[in-house]
Amino acid sequence: MAKQLLYIEMDNCIGCRSCLAACTQCGGHDSRNRNYVMDVDPMQTRQTIPLMCLHCVNPACARSCPAQAIQIADTGAVLSALVEKCIGCQNCTIACPYGIPKFDQEQNLMYKCDLCYDRTKDGIPPMCASVCPTNTLQWLTESELAEKQSAHRLAGGKWIASQSLEPLESETNVKISLPGILQGVQKLF
Amino acid sequence: MQKDKFFKEIQNKLHPGEKLVSTHCSYCGMQCGMNLRVDTRTNTIIGVEPRYDFPVNLGKMCPKGVTAYQQVNHPDRIKRPLIRRNPAWKGTAEGFEEVSWDEALTFIASRFTELQEAYGKDTLSVYSGVSMTNEKCYLTGKFARVGLQTRYIDYNGRFCMSSAAAGFNRSFGIDRGSTVPWTDIHQTDCLLIAGSNAAECHPTSMFRIWEVQNRGGYLIVVDPRETPLARRADVHLDLRPGTDLALANGLLHLLIENGAIDEEFIHNHTNGFAETKALVEMYTPEVVSEITGIAQEKIIRAAEIYGKAPEAIVMFCRGVEQQSKGTDNVSAYTNLALATGKIGRPKSGVATFTGQGNGQGGREHGQKADQLPGYRKMDNPQHVQEVACAWGIPVAEMPQKGVSAYEMFELMHNKTIRGMYLLCSNPAVSAPNLSYVREALKSLDFMVCSDFYLSESAEYADVVLPTTSWAEDDGTTTNLEGRVIRHRQAQSWYAESRPDWWIQIEIAKRMGRGQYFEHLSGPREIFDELRRVSQGGTADYYGITYEKIEERQGVFWPCRDEEDPGQPHLFLDKTFYHPDGKAKICALPYRPPAEEPDEEYPLRLTTGRVVYHYLSGNQTRRIPFLRDMYPDPLLEVHPDTAQKYGIAHGEKVLLKTRRGEAVYQVKVIAAIRPDTVFVPYHWGKHESINLLTNPALDPYSKMPEFKACAAEIVKLEEEERQHG
Repeated sequence: MAKQLLYIEMDNCIGCRSCLAACTQCGGHDSRNRNYVMDVDPMQTRQTIPLMCLHCVNPACARSCPAQAIQIADTGAVLSALVEKCIGCQNCTIACPYGIPKFDQEQNLMYKCDLCYDRTKDGIPPMCASVCPTNTLQWLTESELAEKQSAHRLAGGKWIASQSLEPLESETNVKISLPGILQGVQKLF
Repeated sequence: MQKDKFFKEIQNKLHPGEKLVSTHCSYCGMQCGMNLRVDTRTNTIIGVEPRYDFPVNLGKMCPKGVTAYQQVNHPDRIKRPLIRRNPAWKGTAEGFEEVSWDEALTFIASRFTELQEAYGKDTLSVYSGVSMTNEKCYLTGKFARVGLQTRYIDYNGRFCMSSAAAGFNRSFGIDRGSTVPWTDIHQTDCLLIAGSNAAECHPTSMFRIWEVQNRGGYLIVVDPRETPLARRADVHLDLRPGTDLALANGLLHLLIENGAIDEEFIHNHTNGFAETKALVEMYTPEVVSEITGIAQEKIIRAAEIYGKAPEAIVMFCRGVEQQSKGTDNVSAYTNLALATGKIGRPKSGVATFTGQGNGQGGREHGQKADQLPGYRKMDNPQHVQEVACAWGIPVAEMPQKGVSAYEMFELMHNKTIRGMYLLCSNPAVSAPNLSYVREALKSLDFMVCSDFYLSESAEYADVVLPTTSWAEDDGTTTNLEGRVIRHRQAQSWYAESRPDWWIQIEIAKRMGRGQYFEHLSGPREIFDELRRVSQGGTADYYGITYEKIEERQGVFWPCRDEEDPGQPHLFLDKTFYHPDGKAKICALPYRPPAEEPDEEYPLRLTTGRVVYHYLSGNQTRRIPFLRDMYPDPLLEVHPDTAQKYGIAHGEKVLLKTRRGEAVYQVKVIAAIRPDTVFVPYHWGKHESINLLTNPALDPYSKMPEFKACAAEIVKLEEEERQHG
């Protein structure tokens, strides 16, 4: 099975939060959603962007965990804290450059996006990318991703897409395009 | 199977102890394919799984769709029939007692009979909806005319699709919401989308809409607000609410001036161009800019793009249709496609975004005051004869045509109508001028409401009948493309709820009209009767069977016999449905909304939806995720306007019109015209924006003017703000 990756095209987001509603449907998610959709500047515009776990190759959350509760799957997915190991210190939330890990006060337990490990381990797309009605979230093969990268690289080189460059802390398994994907598009007429 | 560029072969996730039932969403006209997850041990619906192979949405769902399954086993479901014997409680949820089905049905039949004996057959009315299957919509029309023998039946499509229907009938001679399948949308070169907040109301269209731009095509959006759709438009025509007709005429003016029209197509396939050309002469960019408030350059640019586009689709929605000239708006936007010949071929055409799940099918088979199955008309004696014959009743027994939904409330006020059977609708929230409508409901001698939750309208009923939810019954709906699709029963009937077809057959039997209904033992038998009765009509379903729908992922009507594959594209042979085969280009002079701003009410109020809620909110306000995301209605105000009134973001203010007033929390946002305010309409009781909206009706479609009226904001005193 070809390796597949989550790819985020920020510009497409309409703020419907279907990704969050669908997140609850994955096995092992305990009906809780694990990501965020942010209003960019709500008094000016209706622009929104998803804030998903980017599944860092060298994840700060796992490095900061004193109990080694955060495991990394063979797919590269950075998993939710193991119930039996998590001590509820929330180091991970503080360490994560994007503030992704959520915390359940009652259970004293961190929980986060596991890239729908229950689905993606079998090659089935995660729920968020399955339902996203705008293709903000896409589940792509590496060759499809390469196409996106070549399509969206701008001549100036400043603005980036699909690459793990400056705007991100470090290399991530999830690839993103920052707003502006239409900038390089050649109009049909 | 139609496979387009977005299609991917994907297996479904199947959890142990579960099965998947392949069906469609309960909500909007997209009718997205979905799988319901059913616990095989308890036979209950417990979740949702994408249906990646359904060609319209390919597994994609909006937040309403994802959570739709939570309606089914919701704690608010009505479990048993309810009777309320003390009318003093009308308008509240109090005073109901649970009774058996037999008692409820016998009581209904005896009260209906008493009323009809005292005041004539037409004292009863049926008020229906189109968030239900074709089978139920068809049977409801027959139930009213044959079961209850009343002329007064109409439905909530009058507040939804009636202007599109009347406009398409006038322009094309046929009313199918889209001339192209949705799988054409991303392949076109230009989308001109007017009065549609597709990103929130039809979100699963969005991946196709964005793809037009990704390919280098253009997106032109007409909307008073910078909606999530308009945010990315190449040209955003930010018009004043209620001025579409001037804009559409202005665009046609420019298309003619630019030489972008197709003379040959106009000559061979249309009527009325010369007259229309003469009319739009006066709609120069200057005049149109003056009326609409849109900058001239933007109007000129939009006309240039649409004119140059090799292929283009004109799309619209309630923004243009819910006006007192909604029908004219529809025909005027349709003129653009006809004058340029961008219709009658793949990737070009005209489409409306159908609002309700079965807004298309539900308006074809006889729930409309003036209409019979197969889109037959009651003022056509031959049509009446055909249907009377199919139903086995003497022609003389076919009731006359009735009146439109809002006009029925007027007849309740003057006691022409004393009884009502309401199903699948919540007019105590969705109708305009609500104080008047709620009074009408209260004044009824006897009212029955069939619903699966106790809606705001059910609170006015004497008897409430628990009906099944969408996932508990089989049947078909017709989506916004005109594609007839199959809904499948995923769970047995909840508690003692019953499908509406069962309820109607039982009432008919008790009214002594059983002979016309008893042979209909379920959805399949009803569909087969619908097929036969629609045969030969414009909306001909005769060739559509449950099996064929299954094989072909839906069948587009018209479909005249078993061999007919149906018609995904309309007018491919350039033949329209008027007797001479030509379409009509209509000369439609602009007129302002029924109520324009003045000194007393200087703002323009427009209404609409948010992505988390559906119609009157009776379903979505009960779903925790949706409620949490958007719990209360917000009044959208431009920062300049907020400053003028001295009001802050988050402050509560009084909004008033000539019809009513309500208190709303202010959302200050620059993405709206400064002269316009917006409130979504999904809430009941004192939060309903429809307390304020204008019931001025379109003369053809009888659509009320929800989208434009004059309003004023009043700042509340400190104390009122605390408690308001």
